[in-house]
Parts: sequence; C-alpha cells; structure tokens
Amino acid sequence: MLLDSKVPSGPLEEKWDRHRFEQKLVNPANKRKFNIIVVGTGLAGASASASLAELGYNVKTFCIQDSPRRAHSIAAQGGINAAKNYSNDGDSVWRLFYDTIKGGDFRAREANVYRLAQLSLNIIDQCVAQGVPFARDYGGLLANRSFGGAQVSRTFYARGQTGQQLLLGAYSALMRQVASGKVTLFPRRELLDIIVINEQARGIVVRNLINGELESYEAHAVLICTGGYSNVFFLSTNAMGANVSACFRAYKKGALFANPCFTQIHPTCIPVHGVYQSKLTLMSESLRNDGRVWVPKNIGDKRNPKQISESDRDYYLENKYPSFGNLVPRDVASRNAKEQCDMGKGVSDTGLAVYLDFADAIKRDGKDTISKKYGNLFEMYEKITGDNPYETPMMIYPATHYTMGGLWVDYNLMTTIPGLFALGEANFSDHGANRLGASALMQGLADGYFIIPYTLSAYLAGNSFPEVSTSNADFKESVNNCSVQIQKLLSIKGKRTVNDIHRQLGHIMWDYCGMSRKDSGLTKARIAVNDLKLEFWENITITGKENNFNQALENAIRVSDYLEFAELMIIDAIERQESCGCHFNEAYQTEDGEARRNDETFCHVGAWEYSEENENPIFHKEPLLFENVKLTQRSYK
Amino acid sequence: MKKNWFVEILLSSIGKKLLMAITGFSFCLFLTAHLIGNLTLYGGKFFFLSYVTRLHSLGIIINIAEICLLFMAIVHIGMGCLLFYENTKARPIKYAIKVSGGGRTIGSSTMPYTGLFLFLFIIMHLFNFHFVDKGEKTIYKIVTDILSNPFYVAFYIFAMGVVAIHVSHGFWSVFQTLGLNHPKYMPLIKNIGIAFSIIIGIGFGFIPIYISLFA
Amino acid sequence: MIKNINLTLKIWRQDAPDKEGRFETYEANEISTDISFLEMLDIVNEKLIIEGKDIIAFDNDCREGICGMCGAVINGRPHGPQRGTTLCQLHMRHFSDNEVIIIEPFRAAPFKVIKDLVVDRGSLDELIKTYGYISVNTGGAPDGNAIPIPEEIAEKAMDAASCIGCGACVASCPNASAMLFVGAKVSHLSLLPQGKIEAARRVLAMVKKADNIGFGNCTNEKECEVTCPKQVSIENIARLNREFIKACFCSTAK
Repeated sequence: MLLDSKVPSGPLEEKWDRHRFEQKLVNPANKRKFNIIVVGTGLAGASASASLAELGYNVKTFCIQDSPRRAHSIAAQGGINAAKNYSNDGDSVWRLFYDTIKGGDFRAREANVYRLAQLSLNIIDQCVAQGVPFARDYGGLLANRSFGGAQVSRTFYARGQTGQQLLLGAYSALMRQVASGKVTLFPRRELLDIIVINEQARGIVVRNLINGELESYEAHAVLICTGGYSNVFFLSTNAMGANVSACFRAYKKGALFANPCFTQIHPTCIPVHGVYQSKLTLMSESLRNDGRVWVPKNIGDKRNPKQISESDRDYYLENKYPSFGNLVPRDVASRNAKEQCDMGKGVSDTGLAVYLDFADAIKRDGKDTISKKYGNLFEMYEKITGDNPYETPMMIYPATHYTMGGLWVDYNLMTTIPGLFALGEANFSDHGANRLGASALMQGLADGYFIIPYTLSAYLAGNSFPEVSTSNADFKESVNNCSVQIQKLLSIKGKRTVNDIHRQLGHIMWDYCGMSRKDSGLTKARIAVNDLKLEFWENITITGKENNFNQALENAIRVSDYLEFAELMIIDAIERQESCGCHFNEAYQTEDGEARRNDETFCHVGAWEYSEENENPIFHKEPLLFENVKLTQRSYK
Repeated sequence: MKKNWFVEILLSSIGKKLLMAITGFSFCLFLTAHLIGNLTLYGGKFFFLSYVTRLHSLGIIINIAEICLLFMAIVHIGMGCLLFYENTKARPIKYAIKVSGGGRTIGSSTMPYTGLFLFLFIIMHLFNFHFVDKGEKTIYKIVTDILSNPFYVAFYIFAMGVVAIHVSHGFWSVFQTLGLNHPKYMPLIKNIGIAFSIIIGIGFGFIPIYISLFA
Repeated sequence: MIKNINLTLKIWRQDAPDKEGRFETYEANEISTDISFLEMLDIVNEKLIIEGKDIIAFDNDCREGICGMCGAVINGRPHGPQRGTTLCQLHMRHFSDNEVIIIEPFRAAPFKVIKDLVVDRGSLDELIKTYGYISVNTGGAPDGNAIPIPEEIAEKAMDAASCIGCGACVASCPNASAMLFVGAKVSHLSLLPQGKIEAARRVLAMVKKADNIGFGNCTNEKECEVTCPKQVSIENIARLNREFIKACFCSTAK
C-alpha cells in the first residue's frame, strides 16, 4: 500500500490556502442530504459536530459518557498555545511551527504542523466568541503565560481548567446544534464496529450502554474522535473510560495505525500508593520551577525525609544536568526518576516515588509567595495524599498521559479507509514523537473547527455514494459478530477479574514498553502480553447480563482490545531501532544519556496494517521530508 | 392556550419566588408599623387608646390597607402552598438519610411549617383582637383581659419566636430573590435581617410580658 | 497515618429504572485509608465479581474531580462529607473504623435511576440545549482582543463557568431545584460582553425549561452552595434572578 499523505505542493505558508481553494465544495442545498457520524465528544468531536452541523450536514454524535461535556479533554489543565504574539516577545506562526516540530523530535509532518500553527490564531478568537473566560490582565486583554519547550509566552489559559472551559465552549456549540435539530446526540453508546461498504466507511455499530442493545447507524462518513490509549498502561492520567477500542476496531477494518509506540510520560504526577490505585493524577509541571528533586543517597534509606541530612541526599537532576537542573524536559526528568527508583532509591512505601522538595524555596521566598504560585496544587496534593507539602516534601512519579500515536491520516485527516476520518489525539499527525505542553487542546480544536469542515466537504463532493441502509447485510453481519464476541466474554466464567488482567498488562507495558525500552525487554513483553491475552480469553469472569447496564462487560470489551493493541505497540517499538522523543531505546543514546535519533533510517512514520488474527501486522512507511527545517540534536547539559 | 406573558412570569419558579419576596417584604414593613404602634402600649392605657383612635380615624385608608394585607396574605400563603407542593413533588423518593451541609438555617428549613403556624396564629390573633365586639370594651381592655391568661402570654411569646425565625430567613431572602446581591453589602443585609428578626421577636414578645405583669 | 479500616456499606441497589430498589449491606474489610472512595467501591466490586454477583454500578470517569460524572449521596451528603470535593477525590482517611456508610443515588424527579447509583442527568444537557450557549458559528469570530473584558468580570465569569455539571446542587437542594446550575450558566454568559447580547432570551428560556423539566423551586436554602464541589456561589442565583427580572420587565423578549 502506498501511503499518500496528500500534502499539497507549493511553499509551506501557502499549502493550506491553496488546498482549500483546490477542494471541491458541496452545494449548500445538498449538504442536508449527507449524514455524518462523529464518535467522541472531546474537543475534536464536539467542535467537529458543531461545525459540520452549522454547515448543514446531518450529524449523529456518539459518546460513552452520560453527557458530551464529560469527555476527557476536560481534564487538561495548563493551557492552549496560539501564535498570537500578543506578548510582543517574538512569537510567530513560523516559531510555533518550529517549536512543535522540534519538540516532536522531527517525527511529524511539516505541512500538518504548519497548518496547525496557522489555525491556532483562529481558535482563540472562536473560543472567545463562544464565551470561554480566558484569563485577562487588568487592561482587559488576554493574558499569556509561558510553557515548557518554548521561549515565548503564547499559552492562553483559564485558571487551571483550560481544557474544561474549551470543552464547555465546544459542547455549548454542539448543544446549540442539537437544539436546532442538525445534531442528534447518542450518549452512553460505545463503538463496536465500523461498517465499510464498497471500500467506503458507511456506518457504525454501537452498544447502547444502558440496555445493552446493539444499534446500527449509517452515514456517508465517519469521524473517529475518541482520544488516546494511555490506559493500555492501566494506570495513567486518562479517564477510567478512555479506551483504544474505536481506533483499534477501525484498524482491524483496514485503517492503518501509526507510531503506536509514541506515548508520553509526564514527570510530575502523584505517585502510586498501592495495589488498588485506579488512576493517577497529574500536577502541573510548573512545580519544578521551585521544587528540588531528590532521593536518599543510600539505597533502602527509609527514614523520614526530615531526618535525612543534606549530605545523605542526592539531588540527581541538579548533579547530572547542572545547567537545566530540575527543569530538564519531561522525558529526561521521567527517565531519571525511574532510574533512581530502579536502583532502589525510591521513596514512599512502594519505592516508586522521588521527593520534590519546596523547603529551600519556602526558606528563600517565604511561604506566602510559594502559596500564591502553587497554593491550589498543594491543596490538591494534600486532598489526595493527606500530606502537607509545606511541611514535608512532595512525592512525585512519572505517569503516562498522552499518546502521540494513533490512526494514520493524510493531510485531510482521512485514514486509509475512504470516508473514515480521525481527529484529535485519535490520529497520529501533529506531535511527532513528543507533544509539547498546551498543544493537545490546540490540535483537537484545529482539527474539529477548521480542518474537517473543508476536507470532509471535499470528500463528499468528490465521491459517489450508493444507497445504504442499516438493514444492509454488512450491518447485520457486524451486529452478529459483536454479539458473538459479547456472548463469548460472558461465557468464559473463569477465575480472574478483568481489572486484574488489565493491571497485569499495565505492569508489563510499564516495565518493558514504558519510558525506557530495550529489545530484550520488548521481546519478553510481547510473549507476556500474548500469554496474558490467551489467559484473558480463558480465565476471566464477568457478572451481569448483556442486555443491561453492565460496567463489567464494558470494561472487558475495552481490555480485550487493549490486549491486542499492546502487542502492536510492542511490535512498533521493536521496529523503531532508534531513540526519538518519548521513544527511548536504551541501545540508542548519546554519552549524556539523551535520545539518539537515526534520521537516515527512521525519519518516517511507521504505519501498521492489520492482517489476520494472530498474524504479524504489515508495516508501511511514510517518509518524512523536511524541506523547511534542519534536523538537530537536543542537549540539556 | 398561550398564557399571557405576565402570568407566565408570575407562575415561573422565579416569579413565584418574587411574589413570595415582595409580599413577604411587605409583611416585614407591616410588622414594623404594627410594632411601632404596639409600643404605645408601654405608654399606658390612654396613650395606647389615643393611638388606636388616630389609626381608626384614617378611615378608608385603613380599609384599603386591610384589603391589601388580605390580598398579600392570600398570595403569600397560596404561593407558599404551591411551592411546598411542587418542591415535594420534585423529589418523589426521599433520601434514607438527610443531613444538612450547613447551608440551611433553622429559619430556612422550617419555612413551610412556621408559615403554617403563623397562618393559624394570625387567624386566632384576628379573632382575639379584630373580630371582637368593641362596643362594650375598649381595645385596651380586650388586650389586657386576654393577656392576663398565662396560657395566652406563653402562646403569644412562642408565636413571636416563630415570627422571628420565619423572618430571619425571609428578610435576606428578599434581597437574594430580587437579585440585590452584592459581595460588599450582602453581609450587612444578612446582619440587618438577623437584627430585624430579633427586634421583631423581642419587640412583640415583650409586650405580653409587660402587660401581664404591669397592666 | 495509613491504616486499614473495616466498613459496613449500605448501598442502594436497583436493577433498572422501572424496578423497585432496596438497600443491601456489604462488608468492606481491610480498606486502606489511603485509597479513594471509588477505589474502595472498586474493591467491593472485584470481590462481587469473584463471588459471581452483579457489581454495584456507579458513574465515574476522570477521577480527578473535573468531569462531573461521579456522584452519590454518602451518609446524606452528595459527594460525601468533605467540602469542595467530588466523590472521586474523597479519600477513606475521612472515615473511621467500623463506620456504617449509607450510599444512595442522587435523588430528584428529573434524575431517574438507571441502575444502582447511576442516574440519568440528561436534564442538565437539556438545560444547556435550551440556550445555554452563545449563538456563534465557527469562523468569522473577531480577534480575541477586539473586546476588552475587565479582569474582574472575566474572573467572575470563570467562577460561574467552573461548574462541572455533576448535579450535586440538585441532589443537595431540599427542593431538588437546579437553580445553581442554571444560575451558573446564565451568570457565566451574561457577564461576558459576547453573551450579553442574548442574555434576556437565554434567561427566560432556561428558567422556563428548568420548570418544565420538573426541577423544584429555589427557596434560598444555600445547600447547593455548600455542597458544590467547585464551590460555585449562590451569588450566581441572585444574578440569575436579576437577569430574569431585567428580561421580564425591561426587554421585549418573551
């Protein structure tokens, strides 16, 4: 299969404009004849649903939660980037583009990233018009702050709840279209299958989570906006319901999955406290501006941190990276924490945490200053852990929170299945091997508000669509297959719970396919995952009925997909014999322990095609051409 | 049938609240006037009677005021009953355990019950002092006669406590309902509300004690 | 200090919306005080699965207090006893050994029980659908800085906009009124110049809708304010009232 990215020709700055002009349009009167299915109501899904409905398409929007407003975009804290240059500090579209490409360690498509930087300007305007209460300065103009990976202040924010406010903006636009009748909302539905007829995505099969019924819906195009797959690690900062199922089932139907091994680990999360922990909570990275990271010098030193004298402490980041110190990038900070804990120097009962100490900052600046800066974060920490960070050092540990990999899409955000589009975190396109802070929100909204309305219209205008209805045999067959799978899950009646298996999967992935990987570990992991998958299908037990509200069953379906997907992730990690961004293969590092890219051989997108059950997936390459930026090596010493 | 916009407003949840607030606030004003009038009792028989005479000499104005009060009472009570009915209906299955988080006060949580009590009290009060044959006895005599009964004294004092409780929620509520909420002034309004209810409670409550002891 | 506690849970079980519900008693033993309330329920559920019993259904998603999906009434308090905390952020250290915990779903006429502790809060979406938005289409928005907004106003709007739509205000209101939810949305939008344009039509439509759905009437009990996990203030209800009066008597909107 030839992967055609469909990137338009011409200078980088003109590509999007030119592309828009060259696209075919759908006559306004004809728009109402097209049905569009949108799966997921995060920033990408909600904004796409609203924008398409405004144009006149009939949109059916699905989400697994009880309300579209609950999608996990809501949990993004920090902010959203835009090259507005309101701060007059040298920002530009080009700089945002460059920072994003470089931050992604040169594994993203230039044209997509440039378009993203261009559209960032419109996003802020659109959100302000919707009533998003961004922070403002005393003069009433929009406030900005700086964020990791950039030297300019270009991040717009609404307290620590930027994701929430942006999502509520998109959600309100969506609900306005629901009121107008152009969007029909289907909450508490989970996608089980995508229907491809005549090589076109023409519908979906979903499970109604309230009564368990399998429902079929037809459309002229399907948009997957279902987010990322961090929960393959069991513990992550993602929501409990976040899953890979929609993307994975699209993959099984022929869509290619790109760069699945690119998963980002955030260094400052509240550590795991015990076996029954269900999820991890992220705290803003800004904490590292004033906190000092350390572990006890002596292995197994379990004394109270206050009793450990300065000479018995190892401020390992400051020692190892004298110029950046505690402010090294996310991946470096994360890897070093893991390394310390692997050496047995980790603190807390689990040994999986390092200290982030504010004692010096409080001594230097006073408690008030620190409280002004981090008061709400300290409060949140205390709420969860019961410890007071003013008195005793915080404990932190890295956690997975974003996945750069996703369904392969071309410049039009279309997957390799015609008519099946992927938006937001669900696609792979814009962040390369590492996403910069405050860029996820930007991408989700750019895809939904400003890209898909154009590219989808072009697809609809340029293709013919035979009549399809849900009574079609393809739908019937799919419903049947899904039903068989559900029956099978319910009939296993083994001895282990689904959560138990999922937890074990998480351990395997975290240990061998997490922030630091090596071939031997990955090979081991692949075998372990396979064994676990076999055990899953023989030894799980689920209670409840299929035709009822059944969270145990929902979970089992999701985990069954994660088990298969995990293998794909490992295969991809093995294939990429280099280190880049968040993919760190221990065999490929510089003398300083930094990721060493291999631009000769691996400057490409690795996209995987599903073949058969238990067969190796087929590998495809999309070479990445850099015409506008020079590939460089980063260093933080 | 499409309702008139005004009726629709009044029957909306905020409209009902507004009616409660406006009539309630009017009763607060009435209570103030009533209390000031009653304070003349402390001045002795003749002082009080001259006030009564003055008051009655207002003639038609008094009748209008009475009709207004009656009308407001009907609205206040009617809306109160409607609110009580609707609010009960809004939670058909009750909680097994109901605990306040600290928002409710004695006043707010007992509004329907103190309201019902006050309704009955007012009827009794009117039969005691209003719908009586004033031909043979002066109103002063009627008051002192009734309040010579310790049961009545106790009952009146209790009733005035209930009024105070009812008003303690009602007063600040009026401002909240009318949207006259300002971060700078709201604490003051709340304090005035508490002070007002105490003044009303003690002001009216002391009269029976005074009369039964000294008159 | 982390320790283990034993608890007795009395949990509302209801198989379906139209079925009768009842309380059932469960023992949760050796529960670490370090875990969250929902993790405690996870443990109980894991045990139920092994025993072959139907698990206790409860809504949850983000487990970091922002999505608004979780919520149940713990010993008479929606989201539990801690102020400014969603149920998912409530930790077991706030409970004591051998405590009996009664867990019920949010109760209000518009919140039908779907199963056990899961309720249907679609009525809150209905409210947003009924003009809980600013009517702008994608594209054509003026520059974000075209209309300056005083910092104080933006902050107030943000205070109101921080509502997570969990429905605890309704659950805690003695009258099952949704006025804090409506007030927060009306305040958020009517404070901002962008939302002012439609303020009159919005407030009338939303209040009418709340009444039609069957929420109770606000009687200023303030329970919503003390229960709200995001501590949205009843000042927003006062603003709602003010906007309503303005819309009724000073605008042409009906």
